Amino acid sequence: MQSMAIVVRDDSYDKILTPLAFAYLTATEGTQVDILFVNWAVKALSVEGAAALRIDGRHGAEEEMVRAGVAKAGLPTEIHDVIKALKATGSVNFYACSLAGAIFGVNEGNLIPEASGIVGAAWFLNEKALKADHCQYF
Amino acid sequence: MNAPCATHTLDTSGKCCPMPMVETNKTMKNLAVGDVLEIIATDVGTRTDIPSWCARSGQTLLSVVEENGVLRYHVRKEK
Repeated sequence: MQSMAIVVRDDSYDKILTPLAFAYLTATEGTQVDILFVNWAVKALSVEGAAALRIDGRHGAEEEMVRAGVAKAGLPTEIHDVIKALKATGSVNFYACSLAGAIFGVNEGNLIPEASGIVGAAWFLNEKALKADHCQYF
Repeated sequence: MNAPCATHTLDTSGKCCPMPMVETNKTMKNLAVGDVLEIIATDVGTRTDIPSWCARSGQTLLSVVEENGVLRYHVRKEK
């Protein structure tokens, strides 16, 4: 697999781990991975948003257990640190959806440096998702 | 059967997906062709991940030994 595109829409801590883990696996094999963060997930690409990610809903009380499990697995427990590790592979690009950024408060002023920018969904879908060998939606 | 002689060892004990595969990939990149990497793992997911990775990446899985919950893989770097 040469390339993979991922669209992430959920910003809860536990649900964002899976696409990041999949990206980490494939990137370390040399696959180019492009990830578009839409809807609430775009907040993960802001410094304050990434630090504020929590487990939502009925599993909210189990966050401590989940974070301990993440640490035991060998991953950083902070999402921003996971993003930094992925970026360090040199094979992962993070994009913020412009619509999501406008709605949920992510702009070029608070975008994390690991992000490649704020982009239109049409560009990502046509230039990345359509051209990728594989696409995933979370 | 004697285990193949390893030139390098990677211990991923206690770690889970994706870290054993991430660390295996990183380690293999720094080895020379012909080197044999022993990978120690406790993540049962490696039972499928490592053989399929070897087949996909062109490396040779020389042996797999599982004892008391510890998996030991010997992989020879081919390219």
